[in-house]
Amino acid sequence: MGGVYAVISIGLTLVYGVMGIVNFAQAEFLMIGMFVSWFAWAYLGLDPVLAAPLSFAVAFGIGWLVQGQLIARVLKAPSVAQIFLTVGLLIVIENGSLLLFGSQFRSVTTSYQTMSLSLGALFISVPYLIAFGMSLACGLALWWFMRTSWFGRAMRATAQNPMAAQLMGIDTALMYKIAFALGVGLTAFGGAVILPYVTVFPGVGGQFVVLMFTVVVLGGLGSVAGAVVGGLAVGVIQALSSLFFPIQLQNLILFIVFIFVLAVRPQGLVGASR
Amino acid sequence: MKRWIAILAVIAIAAVLPLLLSPTGYWIRVLTFTLLFAAMAQVWNIIGGLANQTSLGHAAFFGIGAYTSTILVLKFGISPWIGMFAGGFLGGIAALIIAVPTMRLQGHYFALATLAFGEVMRVIANVWTSLTGGPVGLSVPFVPPSIAAYSFKQLLPHAYIALIALIIVTVIFEAIRRSAMGYRLRAIKENPAAAEVIGIDTTKVKLQTAVISGVLMAMLGTLYAQVAVFFDPDTVFSAASISIRVALIAILGGVGTAIGPILGALFIIPVEELMNDLFSSGAAGLSQLIFGVILIAVILWRPRGFITVFDSLMARFSNKARS
Repeated sequence: MGGVYAVISIGLTLVYGVMGIVNFAQAEFLMIGMFVSWFAWAYLGLDPVLAAPLSFAVAFGIGWLVQGQLIARVLKAPSVAQIFLTVGLLIVIENGSLLLFGSQFRSVTTSYQTMSLSLGALFISVPYLIAFGMSLACGLALWWFMRTSWFGRAMRATAQNPMAAQLMGIDTALMYKIAFALGVGLTAFGGAVILPYVTVFPGVGGQFVVLMFTVVVLGGLGSVAGAVVGGLAVGVIQALSSLFFPIQLQNLILFIVFIFVLAVRPQGLVGASR
Repeated sequence: MKRWIAILAVIAIAAVLPLLLSPTGYWIRVLTFTLLFAAMAQVWNIIGGLANQTSLGHAAFFGIGAYTSTILVLKFGISPWIGMFAGGFLGGIAALIIAVPTMRLQGHYFALATLAFGEVMRVIANVWTSLTGGPVGLSVPFVPPSIAAYSFKQLLPHAYIALIALIIVTVIFEAIRRSAMGYRLRAIKENPAAAEVIGIDTTKVKLQTAVISGVLMAMLGTLYAQVAVFFDPDTVFSAASISIRVALIAILGGVGTAIGPILGALFIIPVEELMNDLFSSGAAGLSQLIFGVILIAVILWRPRGFITVFDSLMARFSNKARS
């Protein structure tokens, strides 16, 4: 589970890292990814895991438009305006999908849904394993992209010093669009790969929003490697807390960890102090 | 002088207005909630506007106030008037608990931490069934109507109590803004490092505003409980309909100004009611969707709130008068 948490959270951390904006609507793109994948399964007969690139593409397109048309206008505005623009986006996307798709819960059935592999005494459920593998592949692809491609380097330059980047001939507005679209695309990708074991409905983003922020804050806002560490840590915390506490308290434990980390080490577990 | 006449005129209109509405009708309810939310947004404005710390967790204090007074009535028969101060005390302590570790945080980080705090309170209220009744919620018991018991047959007295509360918190807000503390806060807002250098204890000043804001918010929670009569953890500790909404009202109106939250509430609450009225027969989510669109539009159009529209109108007006 931790690997998936990492992928859906990398998007959030990427957007923050490059643009300095916390996207409160990020979890809604998880929901969009799940819906795209569900429709691909229901009408095209595509396996949700194979539909993940499609989810990525749709969210990428929406993200591109949202960044260009809306968020670009508040990049220099006070943080209050940024926070509430993305909160407004959250309300619009959630209720828009409620309007379009209705409030019923939808899930997919796949051949491998109930299968599990046994590794000695350990049983691993196949859908979890696939989700983990896909997440890992996606994370590696992003890492490779950011490290080696020209776009990746330009984007990192923009994150470090937008003005200097612009002077070097980098189109920073384009970089912001790519970063935002890529960020929400990754989250949507994560939404598609978890579809085999999570039901989708318009409010599903709300269930993941705390989790995503905890992952990102644990790893340090803006740090991609941190999100991976944070994702695994949150997976472990969840598994452990479900051993000792009733299920209703699971989120509470996450919240407390979240506030505690913010208070003690706001730069995250692996982040360097700035 | 002119300013005072204008303020008195507005208060006079606000005082007469409830009398003109049907005492059992729908609009008096809208008015009561508009006044109450204006007061809540004003309280948020103390920390959000003056200290420049965007809290998204004010539902925590609000819910504490609503639960404290109602539980005291239910278990011990203590009047909500007293319960209101008990709730305010607990709200202040809660504000201290969350503010001490998080006050150093800024902007997005502080917003995230307070958002999580509100959610913690919501989960606790849902789980601690023996005290709060859990997800089922609590009903304020019916007692014979009297001022001492804070129980009325009609909404009219509630509308006036909300109006008085709004006036009180607005006066407190202005008093803080104009006091030495207000100047310290402004210094911190402009340049925290410079403020430290000239000897302002930035953490202490911010803590004070957080506690004042927490206490007042909890007291307003009691007012809400008495009007609503029934509530559950998901309403009073709601991130969307309390925390975000009060911040939004202040922001749309104009952060850091005394008139901002009032303008914001006068716009948002009636618009919301109107939407619910117009579209409740239509598809679910439509009214919320339109609400979100309006929110985005206003932020893009006026990132500093309606107050700027008001100001530019005034400027145009006075320019014309001069020429």
